[in-house]
Amino acid sequence: MIEALRLILRTTLDRLWEQAVNYLPSILASVIILAVAWLIAALMRFLVLRLFRGAAIDRFLRTSGLNSVTGGVFSLGATRLAAAVCFWGVLLVGVMTALSTLNSALIARLTEQAVMLLPKLVTAAIIVLGGLWLGQYLSRSALIWACNQRLPSAHNLAGLVRIAVVFLSVVVAADHLNFARGVFLSAFVICLAGIVLAISLSAGLGRHDMLNWLSRRESRPEETGREWSLWNHL
Amino acid sequence: MLDTIPHETDIVVGIPSFNNARTISHVVRAAVAGLQKYFPQFRAVIINSDGGSTDGTRETVLNTPAEDAGILFLPTPMFPLHRLSMPYHGIPGKGSAFRMIFGMARDMRARACVLLDADLRSVTPEWIDMLLRPVLFGRYDFVAPYYRRHKYDGTITNSIVYPLTRALYGKRVRQPIGGDFGVSIRLVERYLKRDDWETDVARYGIDIWMTTIALAEGYHVCQSFLGAKIHDAKDPGADLSAMLQQVVGSVFTLMREYGGVWQRVQGSEDVEMFGFRFEVGLEPVPVNVRRMLDHFEQACADLKDVWALALRRETLAEILKLRAPAAEGSAQFHLPDELWARTIYEFAHSSRERGVERGQLLRSLTPLYMARVASFVLETESVNSADVEEKIESLCRTFEELKPYLVQLWTGKSAAPAQAASPPEASKLEVKAHD
Repeated sequence: MIEALRLILRTTLDRLWEQAVNYLPSILASVIILAVAWLIAALMRFLVLRLFRGAAIDRFLRTSGLNSVTGGVFSLGATRLAAAVCFWGVLLVGVMTALSTLNSALIARLTEQAVMLLPKLVTAAIIVLGGLWLGQYLSRSALIWACNQRLPSAHNLAGLVRIAVVFLSVVVAADHLNFARGVFLSAFVICLAGIVLAISLSAGLGRHDMLNWLSRRESRPEETGREWSLWNHL
Repeated sequence: MLDTIPHETDIVVGIPSFNNARTISHVVRAAVAGLQKYFPQFRAVIINSDGGSTDGTRETVLNTPAEDAGILFLPTPMFPLHRLSMPYHGIPGKGSAFRMIFGMARDMRARACVLLDADLRSVTPEWIDMLLRPVLFGRYDFVAPYYRRHKYDGTITNSIVYPLTRALYGKRVRQPIGGDFGVSIRLVERYLKRDDWETDVARYGIDIWMTTIALAEGYHVCQSFLGAKIHDAKDPGADLSAMLQQVVGSVFTLMREYGGVWQRVQGSEDVEMFGFRFEVGLEPVPVNVRRMLDHFEQACADLKDVWALALRRETLAEILKLRAPAAEGSAQFHLPDELWARTIYEFAHSSRERGVERGQLLRSLTPLYMARVASFVLETESVNSADVEEKIESLCRTFEELKPYLVQLWTGKSAAPAQAASPPEASKLEVKAHD
């Protein structure tokens, strides 16, 4: 009995040792590849930081308005962002290379899918980023316009514009990725229909208030006689 | 009353128009009488550059009869006076209309060009004389108008354009965006050589663009006293923020081009003025201070994040402090000259730095401008014209005193907006000669 148990244990240990001996070089190679990739990534990050500081990238982003793409939620430092993209990009390539040394069919398939998906991911990210920027820009334009027209709830209007544009960009990105396409499209159509319905209802129910408000606005100049002509500004 | 195009002429009178049938007849009559009375020895053409009027403006220009020569004691003209009316092409706006007039003046080898707004009710034949004579018989290239205006008339001029232009280029041209000018052919050719006609210059930016180029490039500039300026009551069909953006945007754009010029200028000097000066009765300009303050108060809540892109933290904080008095509608509401000058300088700097957001920044200036006008109206409610002029003079001096602050911002020797930075105290800055 004890002999049989010892035999089983030895066989198991031998198999484990054999597997370890088989896989150890690959694992070691993976670790080394990862370490080298990390070193290269860190070096790249350092170089990009130096390079971007020298170039006028931050100034370009400031003049293009891209640095306020997130509306002040967090500051999009161009130099830090480019350095981070480089670092994680190189590290990702390193991880994939390291995994490929293990010769696993599952890992190979995952790697292949990741490589295939990468361009689509990048495109989707650009679409969302563009949507964020456009949403920010258009919402600010709407805010300034509404404020100068002295419309009530200028902030709400601007927020609505921003949400609509960002949501549209997310729908387009999801469609591009084939990710929950039906869900996003349905949600988009429902939202759009809801907005149209809300506008119709508010136009119908609130027309009296709106007309009163407009007539009050128009009648204000009468309080002081004739209107202050735009020519009087020049 | 010929509508054929003459090959050569000495004088071109340009009248840009858009649906001005109601008033353009008076302007044409004044121009014809002015040319016949004061310049009978010169060949002259009146050119109406129209933006597609549908109310018969062009027909009015061509069919308006000249004044009875006997009634006006007009001398016998030596040459026939031609009249042309044609539509301009390109971006709709006063600037595009001017471009066509300038092009025709150059092609006809004119010596001088006079520009008159089509909706003027107060133009007289003497305006033609006052705007042309310094060019034809003096050494001047650019004649700016000098009007008597109501204290609440020309508020963009009084609160932004005049103080800023004077501080930048050191010349006291009182009505830099007056709209009625006399220009030599030398300067006309210079204008035509430029490639920025498709910008705000095509619209309301044209007046300050012309004045600035004349000042910055060293052309001989003078002013002529024209009396009162009274426009037709019809609005120009734009909105205030767009107008403000075009005018102020043009000043800021030219600041980039002429940075090397204005950074060297210190103080300011008078510009020669021609004409017999007299007082005139002026139409009162109605203003609604409550409405302006409401606008500003709403903008303090809605636009403070946008203003933060342009203004420094301290400036923004000082402006936001004015929200409470504005909301109360207090007669004590006061936007100080020094704060206003700093605001304009910081907007000028930011509009250079933030290319894409420039239009938004300039439009967000509208409520601040309203606050400044409201403050000015409250300060000058019971003040006469001379004292109002002194107030404007004081604002101009503040702009000049703070100019080193603008130069400091512009040359990048200070922190970026919204970072802690100490704006200069006006009292500590050296005041250069105000001769």
